[in-house]
Amino acid sequence: MSRTEPAVVTDRARAARASPRRATMPFRVRVRRSIPGILSVALVVFVMLVLFGPIIMLAVLSFDKSTIIALYWQGFTTQWYHDAWSNSDLRSAVQNSLVVAVIVTAFSMVLGTMTAFAITRFRFRGRGAVAGLAGAPLVVPWLMIGIGAAIFFFHYQVLPGMFPLSLWSVTAVQIICTFPLVTAVVASRLARFEGVQEEAAVDLGASRLQVLRRVILPQLTPALGAAAIFAFSWSFNNFEIDFFVGGYDQTFPVWVYSELKRAPNLPIINASSTLISAVQVLMVIVAWRLLLRDDTADERRGASTVIDALP
Amino acid sequence: MRGMTPWWLLSAPLVLLGIFFVAPLLTLFLIGFQHNSLFNVGGWTLSNYGTIFHTGSYRQIAVTTTEIATLTMLVQLLVGFPLAYVLAFRARGWELPVILLLVLADELNPIVRIYAYRVVLGREGIINRGLEAVGLVSSHHPLSWLLFDKFAVVVVLSTSYITYTVIPIYAAMKAIDPSLIEAATDLGAGWFRRTMRILVPLSAPGIFVAIILVYLPLFTEFATPTLVGGTGSYMLGQLNAELITESGDLGQGAALSALLLVATGVMAAAAYYLARLNRLDA
Repeated sequence: MSRTEPAVVTDRARAARASPRRATMPFRVRVRRSIPGILSVALVVFVMLVLFGPIIMLAVLSFDKSTIIALYWQGFTTQWYHDAWSNSDLRSAVQNSLVVAVIVTAFSMVLGTMTAFAITRFRFRGRGAVAGLAGAPLVVPWLMIGIGAAIFFFHYQVLPGMFPLSLWSVTAVQIICTFPLVTAVVASRLARFEGVQEEAAVDLGASRLQVLRRVILPQLTPALGAAAIFAFSWSFNNFEIDFFVGGYDQTFPVWVYSELKRAPNLPIINASSTLISAVQVLMVIVAWRLLLRDDTADERRGASTVIDALP
Repeated sequence: MRGMTPWWLLSAPLVLLGIFFVAPLLTLFLIGFQHNSLFNVGGWTLSNYGTIFHTGSYRQIAVTTTEIATLTMLVQLLVGFPLAYVLAFRARGWELPVILLLVLADELNPIVRIYAYRVVLGREGIINRGLEAVGLVSSHHPLSWLLFDKFAVVVVLSTSYITYTVIPIYAAMKAIDPSLIEAATDLGAGWFRRTMRILVPLSAPGIFVAIILVYLPLFTEFATPTLVGGTGSYMLGQLNAELITESGDLGQGAALSALLLVATGVMAAAAYYLARLNRLDA
């Protein structure tokens, strides 16, 4: 953002703008100077168009009366949203996804924060190994975790009765796929303010609980909020685990997948996808604001916070 | 915090990781050495691995997978490297908004995203309709290579991973002192020389992270090639999924998974080791 731009650059830019030479600059030179800028804008626009164009088209089509994909725009309708709402398979799939995501988020927050504390606030033998193990689910492809877990549950019938392939096994496996993300976000935030403030609080007579409530939590809250949103989103989007470990229980991604394999281009896929994507856009914006909250003063650090938060 | 041991904090996470992460992965290795298909269960064997290595069609699938993964990685570097440069040095006011959009692209539901590309690329999709409207393509012969072939798979995979390509390279470039580039310009270096002598070497750690984060997972892609690919783009992840869900041959599915896991692990470790040799902080 321009306000954090080094003063030197702005001064120089202003000087260049004011310089009489610029006005007399030949047209050809002016064109050549503007090429990098134009190319930059073109590149960004191109990438964004490829990334979001299709989703935007989907949103537009979800309001289109035409049922045949070949005929575009036969008039505005909200029919497909009513249809989507009254489709019981879709509703139960979305419900399943939401319930799983809420449970996974809650567990991931607790487990992730505990792990982050242990890794950043203690020096102990095996710390590197623990950090490696806690980070491993971020690196091992979900397809492998999904297939491994499917065979494991199916073959061994662990905890008889309770764990056939179902939403329960999905929840359990998603928790271990997701809490390392929370660990990464919280650990990077904890590493920022080291132990100094906590030691100071202890020296001043604060109890352990007081340190946690008054010193650590306030500084962690934004990061925790953002981590919760990303954890929720990871769980909601986790197709591989849902598909392999879900058994007969369908979640939203699995519902879309199986609809697509049966009869493609159903208008209710458009409508439900548009709704879900809209909610996801809002959630990411909230997470973004939370992550940037303490860092607005320093843009570079602001960007790096977000990068820390990325898996 | 005196008196508290880290193991107290770590007990629950470690137990869960043990049951739901380590044990399933160990199961893959174990079952891979057993007969475990619909017709034949039990007994130790090496035949699962033998089949994988000696079946010609499997080898063909591995070649196709490598092709698609490599092509996708190249496309992403060709687009992602310049984009990271633009974000780090030229974007100013829209630097953070564009990063937000990249994060957003990653957080949208992957299956929904894949479906959206089907709507655009299909025989009766937006692109073909547009070309027909302009008269470039007749409605009887739409461009059919857009969907259900390698093209669509590479496009959709590139968009799925672009966030993980751009962000690490951008982060590495952000650490480069812009005055280095200005100095090179003042000394008469053209854009190509500035790129090759300054940008690429100094952002190498970021490029390296991007390759590990993107290239290796590409080998295990399953949903994308299933939904937008065709017979010409059948990938190892699909084969692996079908061995489990359709053929019911757990032994062979587990063996293939274990192989992919070991292969990607070895590649990641080798890359990490090489990076350390070069003193890159990765």
